[in-house]
Amino acid sequence: MTSISSIVDGIVVTDREGNVALLNAAAEDLLGVKSFAAIGKSLRDICGRRELLDVLVHDRQRMADVPQARQTVEVQHAEQDLLYVKCTTTRVSDYRGQPAGTLALLEDVTADFKTDQLKNQYLSIVAHELRTPLTGIKTFSTMFAKGSLGALNARQQAVADSIREQSGRLEHQIDKLIHLGHLDSDEYGQDREAFTVADLCAGLIAPFEQPARDRRIALTLSCDADPQALVLADRADLRRACQAIVENAVKFTRDGGEVRVQVGNGQDGRLRFSVRDTGIGIDSRYHRRIFEKFFQVEDPLTRHHGGAGLGLFVAKGIIEAHGGRIEVASRLGEGSEFSFALPAERQSVGAASSTTHSRKD
Amino acid sequence: MERTVLIIEDEKLIIVSTQMVLEAAGFRVESATNGEDGIAKAKSLCPDLVLLDIMMPGIDGWETLTRLKRDAATSNIPVVIFTAREHARGHQKSAEMGAADYFRKPFEPDELIELVEKHVAQSA
Repeated sequence: MTSISSIVDGIVVTDREGNVALLNAAAEDLLGVKSFAAIGKSLRDICGRRELLDVLVHDRQRMADVPQARQTVEVQHAEQDLLYVKCTTTRVSDYRGQPAGTLALLEDVTADFKTDQLKNQYLSIVAHELRTPLTGIKTFSTMFAKGSLGALNARQQAVADSIREQSGRLEHQIDKLIHLGHLDSDEYGQDREAFTVADLCAGLIAPFEQPARDRRIALTLSCDADPQALVLADRADLRRACQAIVENAVKFTRDGGEVRVQVGNGQDGRLRFSVRDTGIGIDSRYHRRIFEKFFQVEDPLTRHHGGAGLGLFVAKGIIEAHGGRIEVASRLGEGSEFSFALPAERQSVGAASSTTHSRKD
Repeated sequence: MERTVLIIEDEKLIIVSTQMVLEAAGFRVESATNGEDGIAKAKSLCPDLVLLDIMMPGIDGWETLTRLKRDAATSNIPVVIFTAREHARGHQKSAEMGAADYFRKPFEPDELIELVEKHVAQSA
């Protein structure tokens, strides 16, 4: 018992009936309840920090359907400021494999949370500071390249076009940075609108066609889903997520390879988006890590292609915010398939209510 | 008739570049580098359109927009929000506050001209 009571994370064990069987010192502190007052009682009946206790009650009920539940809760702690507590509830079985109760782990993740918040604020400010001069560069180089400032000779034209193109690339990178902060905001997801599958597909792979051609990669898009079926999503972001996956596939496919983008119907009418490539593949030990912020597989080819390691992270965030899950199937040397499914609206354009508002992008 | 666009923006670079684009397209362009000054110019010049930045020292773009819409002398001038920073629900918020449109920096010069033409034509 001494070992459990001295663990820095809170631990709450409940029995099959949902009564508290064990509560360590850290859990007492976080829940605002003493062990003697809680043992043997239902989580519902304990007087303590209800916002946290209610989460435990809720997650315990979910154990009938899922083996593990996790959520992060804001807690107003008595002596300290606001705390962020990550609660992970896991099903516990006895030696016969029968359900024996649950174990909840309460971790104080305030420091991580605040670091993340700071980082996002920082990213947002940096992005603003970068976009401002970029606006000037983009405007002037465009006017220059289009001859609005006078006729150019061939060499001048090539330079002007290059400045314009490079500023476009820079803008693309800044957009990715900004989206990190944007995704974490509480208000994310309120810009949803209904649009058709055809809208989503239109021009989706266009930005990658030239780079693919340059490297003799066959890049194709096929749509098996009803083109008039509706998707309810943040239009610009969903597009961004799809394009990040395509961009990634093209980047990691060797010259002469193939990238196939497919939009179709998954189970129960869900919209399924998948990108299959004949690329370098990903070692299975990296299958989870490739979606982490700034992560890149250590590989000579990766370094060769550069990038900040943000594309898939942003894509994953967007897809999850829309209730989907991004999955990867890949074998080293054989290529990869990235896919996700989103709930698709059943009705087609004619039957649908009009969109609430549009978004300029 | 000469059509006037008023830019309220604290970054000189943005003013200069926007001015070049719009002047080349035949607009007369005036500018103010803060909200207070912008409101005063909106009243005296009665421009056909206001391009308004959000992040400015002093009163910000949202406050400037509120004051422009509250004053009968300026409430009919279309205002286009013009921002380099992503704002949560910015598009929706600006519409609710009476802005005619929401535009992101950096922009394509042609898109800017198209946008300005559209709103100026509507207000005429």
